[in-house]
Amino acid sequence: MRLVRAAFDEIYALLAQMVSSLFRHGLPLTDKIAARTALTNFVLHIHPVRVRRSWIRMSYTLCLGGLSFFLFIVLTVTGLYLMFYYVPSTGHAFQDMRDLQFVITFGGVVRNMHRWAAHLMVITVWLHMARVFLTGSYKKPREFNWAIGTTLLLITLLLSFTGYLLPWDQLSIWAVTVGTNMARYAPIAGPFTRYLLLGGTVVGDNALLRFYVLHVVGLPLFGFLLMVVHFWRVRKDGFSGGL
Amino acid sequence: MATEARERIEARRRVQQREAPLAIRDDKDDEMIVSFPEFIFKEFIVAVGMTVFLVLVSIFLQAPLLGKANAAMTPNPSKAPWYFLGLQELLSRFPPLMAGVAFPTFVIVLMILVPYVDKNPSRRPAERKLAIILFALYSMIAVALVVIGTFFRGHEFTWDWGWVLGSGQ
Repeated sequence: MRLVRAAFDEIYALLAQMVSSLFRHGLPLTDKIAARTALTNFVLHIHPVRVRRSWIRMSYTLCLGGLSFFLFIVLTVTGLYLMFYYVPSTGHAFQDMRDLQFVITFGGVVRNMHRWAAHLMVITVWLHMARVFLTGSYKKPREFNWAIGTTLLLITLLLSFTGYLLPWDQLSIWAVTVGTNMARYAPIAGPFTRYLLLGGTVVGDNALLRFYVLHVVGLPLFGFLLMVVHFWRVRKDGFSGGL
Repeated sequence: MATEARERIEARRRVQQREAPLAIRDDKDDEMIVSFPEFIFKEFIVAVGMTVFLVLVSIFLQAPLLGKANAAMTPNPSKAPWYFLGLQELLSRFPPLMAGVAFPTFVIVLMILVPYVDKNPSRRPAERKLAIILFALYSMIAVALVVIGTFFRGHEFTWDWGWVLGSGQ
């Protein structure tokens, strides 16, 4: 009996050690430990340890920047799920979409989430820009972060646009044909840009592959790096609320 | 450094002249709080709310999937994704070099330059009337163009009341 008890204690201690090793701090029971939590936790270290109430007033930020980032995370997760089943070739793409909608478990819901979150992200990013403009938050010393934000808005649009082609249905191909035709009007570089983007003169197999690679690797990677700089600058330049 | 000193002098002058300060400040809101858990909990709630909203919408609202892409069959009208419809709307009204290239380039460059163009140091809405009016104008035009392109453009991208009157398609 004593042996069992000793073994139990040993296992319990081991489990406790495992759990406590997950976090670099104890339970946030006091303000001091709570502060240390934000300081030492990797996931939370993006936040300052202490904030002024005015910085985080919801009626000021409307949570729009945070929502945009959260939608980016939702899009990454749902996008990974879709990538398991989707082959970017004109022979497979459309059938894969139908399979996602009708055959694959949760395929339809995940695809819908990806689609609606993408539309929503275009809106939240735009509204975030409007909020920053209307509160004058782009003013010194945040001029450059506004430029990064503008670039992020453009990347959001490009991400949504490249994703538009992937279902390879009538909506995709013609929306992208119309969209890339706009690029043709630029003098000298225009037709070349369009050729580079499509990998040819028409929206076909090459275009689908290029849009896919840009959509799942190129643009998200570039966007993520800019987001890191954007958030870092928010911390270093200071929150704009209630200066 | 020089600018900061100038800002401090300006702030002091405003206090002495009993003018409103350059930035909005509410002393009630000035209290420092520990960001964990209050701030992070707020964010968490918003994220959960958004997730629930997205899942519910995605269960009940199907994303569109038309017939398989066919390069030989052009639908009429052919429309770009909605956020580019403002641009397409401009293209249907102005010469392509102006609407498709000059105008968007101008808007993007101007947007990036906004903080350097807007020299007004104040962040009070009452002292930024011009900036706010210009931005409101820009937003209204952008939204109007997108709405027109989305809902009021039918066959051959000509004006169509079909969506409003319900007789279009």
